[in-house]
Parts: sequence; C-alpha cells; structure tokens
Amino acid sequence: MTKPDSDDFAMESSEGAVLLKRAGLGIGGGIALIFTGGIIAGYTSGALECGGPDLVDGAIIAAMVLLAALVAFVNWRFWPQGEDEPLSPRVRSARRLLLVAMVLGLPLGFLLGVTDEGTGTLLSNAPVSAGIAAIAIALWVIVGPVITWLWWQKIDEHEAGAYREGALVAAHAYIFITPIWWMASRAGWLPPLEPMLVLLAVSVLWSIVWFVRRYF
Amino acid sequence: MKNRLKVLRAMRDWSQAELAGRLDVSRQAVNAIETGKHDPSLPLAFRIARLFDMPIEEIFDDEA
Repeated sequence: MTKPDSDDFAMESSEGAVLLKRAGLGIGGGIALIFTGGIIAGYTSGALECGGPDLVDGAIIAAMVLLAALVAFVNWRFWPQGEDEPLSPRVRSARRLLLVAMVLGLPLGFLLGVTDEGTGTLLSNAPVSAGIAAIAIALWVIVGPVITWLWWQKIDEHEAGAYREGALVAAHAYIFITPIWWMASRAGWLPPLEPMLVLLAVSVLWSIVWFVRRYF
Repeated sequence: MKNRLKVLRAMRDWSQAELAGRLDVSRQAVNAIETGKHDPSLPLAFRIARLFDMPIEEIFDDEA
C-alpha cells in the first residue's frame, strides 16, 4: 500500500482543486495587489507633482498601504492548504530564488510607477530620470541574469525541460509577432511597434507553457 | 517510455515526495516520470537504478 499521493485519482482531483483555488486566489489577489499598488503609485506621483505629499495625502497613502496589506493578509490567510510535502534542498533553493526575484521586482515596479511622468500605464514610454534608469538597468543586467543562472542550477531536469519548451514557444512567437507588427505598422494598419508589449506577451506565453508542462 | 517506478515505490511504501527527496528532484518530476510524461535523463535513470538496486532495463521499458 502506497502512502497517499497525488497520483491516486482521489488525491489528484483534490490536488487539482487546491491548485485551481490557489490559481484563482493568486490571480485575483495578485490583480487586487497590482491595482492597489498602481493607485498608491499614481496618487503618490500626483502628490509629488503638486509639491510633495502633505498630511492629508500621507494619511490617504497610509490608508491605501494598509488596504494593500489587508489584501495580502487575506490572500495568505485563505490560501488553500494542499498536501504537506517535504521539499528537497534543491527545490527549496529554487523557490527561494523566485521569491528573491519577486522581492526585487516589486519595489522596482512601484518606483517606476511613482516616478512615471507619462500616462501612468505599466509599459509607459515616458521619460524617466537617469537615476531610475540606472537602477532599473542595473537590476535587469546584473541581478536578473545572476538570479536566473542560480535558479537554473537549482531546478531539476523536468522543470528545466518545461522552461526550455516555454522558451522555444516564446522564441517562435517573438519571431512571428515582431516582423508582422513591424510590417503592418509600416503599412499603416497597426500603431508603431511596442517592443515592451511584445516582451510582455512573449514572457506571459513562456510562463504559461512552463506552468502547463510543469504541473499538468 | 513505460516504467515500474510507481510499483517499486509502492513496494517500499514511499510517497512521491519521499522518492523525490531521495533523488533530489521535485515531486512533480517523479509524478511526470511515473505517468510517462517525462523520460528521465541517463544520469537520473542511473540514480533511480542505484536507489532501487536494480539494472536500468528492469525499471524502464523502451519496448512498450
């Protein structure tokens, strides 16, 4: 008799349900957090443009930060518990590195949102200060590859295969999307090519393929 | 490729997570191998064979 496992039918559906609940809560909570973060960044940016946040602004920003903290707490409190599985040191290290990447990325996103002088959209092309650009480029060029390399060393071959397959699909998507959009924009059918939008689309596609190959 | 990993694991009363820990891979990797969604690399196949103290060809069957 094997110990209970997710490969048994009952457990598999249970794990699938847990995974779906986590996905729902993660996506919903994530959108709520990004939305709240965007409002905080937008409000702070507006207050800075008007000569810096005063006491009322500070109170409003603090209230919104509390709201974001509440959303994060609700997400954590109601996070569905699945099978309590022990993790090998390698898997634990890989997850820790993903967390580090998130911890580094979130403040950067917030900083870009606060200092944005343009439309306030996530992928704005508005000018940024040299300092912000230097920080963003340093994180992207120096920290990004380091974390990616360390993470790559820690993942197992199954996950590496899922990651490679995602990369292959993403690369093909990129070499189709970019020239088609470029040519269509030159013909006047589409607005000018937005490289960051293409990057976002390709990255999302990469993540989806990786997730599906890894967990389904 | 078919394999007897699930049966061998059952004989030792190991969970997928336990086996994954012994092989230093994730539980998802063990599940993918057992269900035939992932063929292990040669080094991992050797690790599995050594863990169960059996020849590789008695665990994995490429004829199926």
